[in-house]
Amino acid sequence: MAERQVKVTTDVGLHARPAAVFVQSAAQSSEDVTLAKFDPAAESQNRVNAKSILAVLGLDVRNGDEVIIASEDAEAVDRLAALVTEETS
Amino acid sequence: MTARIVSPVAGKVVGLPGVPDPVFAEGMVGPGTAVDPDRGPGVAVAPISGVVQKLHPHAYVIVDAEGRGVLVHLGIDTVKLDGEGFQLLTEEGAHVAAGAEIVRWDAGAIEQGGRSPVVPVIALDAPADRVTVTGADYVHTADPLFTWE
Repeated sequence: MAERQVKVTTDVGLHARPAAVFVQSAAQSSEDVTLAKFDPAAESQNRVNAKSILAVLGLDVRNGDEVIIASEDAEAVDRLAALVTEETS
Repeated sequence: MTARIVSPVAGKVVGLPGVPDPVFAEGMVGPGTAVDPDRGPGVAVAPISGVVQKLHPHAYVIVDAEGRGVLVHLGIDTVKLDGEGFQLLTEEGAHVAAGAEIVRWDAGAIEQGGRSPVVPVIALDAPADRVTVTGADYVHTADPLFTWE
């Protein structure tokens, strides 16, 4: 399992437009891909299906949030991490 | 069961290609349609009966009892307004009926601010062939807009 925790630097986080791009990129993987908004106070992180736009919008990821991206597909994890850490969205 | 999605605003049905944002226009957010709203102060309503899953000033998602989520996005690039000019009339977690008032806003003011007030209404995670746009040329608030099988 590949897993990366990154800080979201895109200016509006994962709102409709960037979320759609994120989900479409996740959907290119044949493996399951999960996304969680890192909560340091939680015992276990709430991981959602990164291929679902409803689930990703529901996380309400904003600029400055830390997210955890995980999959058996390490390339997908790197690709998605790059998407949320771009300087401009 | 087929869900009947109603228009959150009154205006001209322009379809997703009428949205000046390629991500919406190409259906990447999901299938659905878009309404070019009447200018002036107005109230955007729930497009479907369900729970308010996400409520931002410029956008909201209502999820019905079968888990179908519908996104209403009030104008394009309006996230950058930081809520200015929008008044929330409900809260996240609330159960609402289709047609219930969700956000008070002013499409004319959005346009005067240099942004498009066009309202995409999107069936989230839906395959495109399950959505049929039924709204005619012009819709009033809460008129039928599309069905989702």
